[in-house]
Amino acid sequence: MQLSKIIPFVLISIFTVLLSCGEPDITPDMIDGEVIFDASLYDPEAYLVSYSNPNPTIEEAEIPVIIVSHGYSASTFEWNEFREWNDSNPEILISQVLLSGHGRTYEDFKNTNWQDWSASILEEYDRLVMSGYKNIHFAGSSTSSTLILDIVNSGYFNDKIVPGNIFLIDPIIIPSSKSLSLVGIIGPMLGYIEADNTLDEDKYWYHFRPEETLRELMKLMNVVRKDLQSGILLPSGCALKVYKSKRDPTADPAGAILIYKGLRNANGDPIEIEMIDSDLHVFTRLSLRAGIVQKDVINQQNTFEDMLNRILN
Amino acid sequence: MFNSLIKFSCRIFVIVLVFSLSSQKNTNAQSQTISVGIRLQKSINFYLENGFSVYYNSDKILSDKILFGIHYVSSRLGSAINSNAIKQDRFFFNAFYIMRSKKKLNILTGIDLGYFHADYEEPVFDDLQNQSLLLALEAGIRYNIIKRLSVNSTLGYNFITGDGTDGAGTLYPMYFQISLLCNFQK
Repeated sequence: MQLSKIIPFVLISIFTVLLSCGEPDITPDMIDGEVIFDASLYDPEAYLVSYSNPNPTIEEAEIPVIIVSHGYSASTFEWNEFREWNDSNPEILISQVLLSGHGRTYEDFKNTNWQDWSASILEEYDRLVMSGYKNIHFAGSSTSSTLILDIVNSGYFNDKIVPGNIFLIDPIIIPSSKSLSLVGIIGPMLGYIEADNTLDEDKYWYHFRPEETLRELMKLMNVVRKDLQSGILLPSGCALKVYKSKRDPTADPAGAILIYKGLRNANGDPIEIEMIDSDLHVFTRLSLRAGIVQKDVINQQNTFEDMLNRILN
Repeated sequence: MFNSLIKFSCRIFVIVLVFSLSSQKNTNAQSQTISVGIRLQKSINFYLENGFSVYYNSDKILSDKILFGIHYVSSRLGSAINSNAIKQDRFFFNAFYIMRSKKKLNILTGIDLGYFHADYEEPVFDDLQNQSLLLALEAGIRYNIIKRLSVNSTLGYNFITGDGTDGAGTLYPMYFQISLLCNFQK
């Protein structure tokens, strides 16, 4: 067959595939729809310290506040267990951030980029600083860990209140599914991908993931990976610990190596890292998961206690 | 870093070009060709890994339509130069079927087989898999600039990659490579 005969056939095939991308079949039971929204949108006082106590006393301003933020396509639910675990502890406050575009409709999600996601974390930090809080810490799961690394690298904390501790739970620098690296090529043909959520998880995690947001996720990983290659230095007075599942179907554990090699404490020492014997992505979230074993519960509790001890000591 | 690599490649190109022009002979009916050169390889959305290639083809094997290659590429000669990138190496063989083999512009389709290894350095990562079999398909073109000098460029797809629970995590599926080769014929 001559080349001139093959080219039109290939072009028609590509065009047909492009046209075949339908709209996602969103139901009212999914957070993607226009019925279920993240609870923090209705009641921000219950989730954000800057809303629940915007005028702290001098004593209250010294209480440690951890800004916790969730991963790509997730919602504040991802950190509910940490908040519930800490509810009886008056020594520490938890501020649960909802990333921009998340916990809303599929279209809202589709129209955001990774800088928007990052802005939500910084907005809560800025509000807390403006309110007078002085003892601020961060904990990010999955994509939020990557966003926090980018924030640190940007020098955002220079001449501001430096976070005392940063905790990264299953940071994503390298995707486990390597086909994500091809999202720029195959993404426009697919339009979106479908997550393997349970019906209950569909209320807190997007079921349909627009290719636009997957490309943003890939861009973010590339930016932070290159920053790590060049080297990132933590601000003085800030400690960081990475907790990484050894087997993770979403964030490849090899990403932890890139963080360990590329990130240093202000004095040049290596950061702390703990490889967790787990098969879960964001192993600190056990709620709504099937097949949880005792080891998973121990991993979660040990990590929560370790985070708390590091903040209080 | 990348600029210095480009400069280095340009210097090699000029040296090879001068050598090739000066040693050209007016010979006919060449039966065997060995090509030696540099290979610049970039995984899509991951590392630049560079190295060396040697190719062999002969009139005696399917009338010059099969090209055999042996390659070594590493991030040590790419992304890991003066950076915190993981040092990883690939050693592999390939065999290409050459279409339009008697023309200046050849079309190549082939299969790669080899070994991948990444150096994670720290004992805390000892439980993570850092080696893998390489199995890939490659397709692209070769342009014979002059008798002594050719350039080939291919797109490859690795069938074996890490998935977070198994396999080497820094092995990505798709890559692009360009090689500059000096040809020795006998």
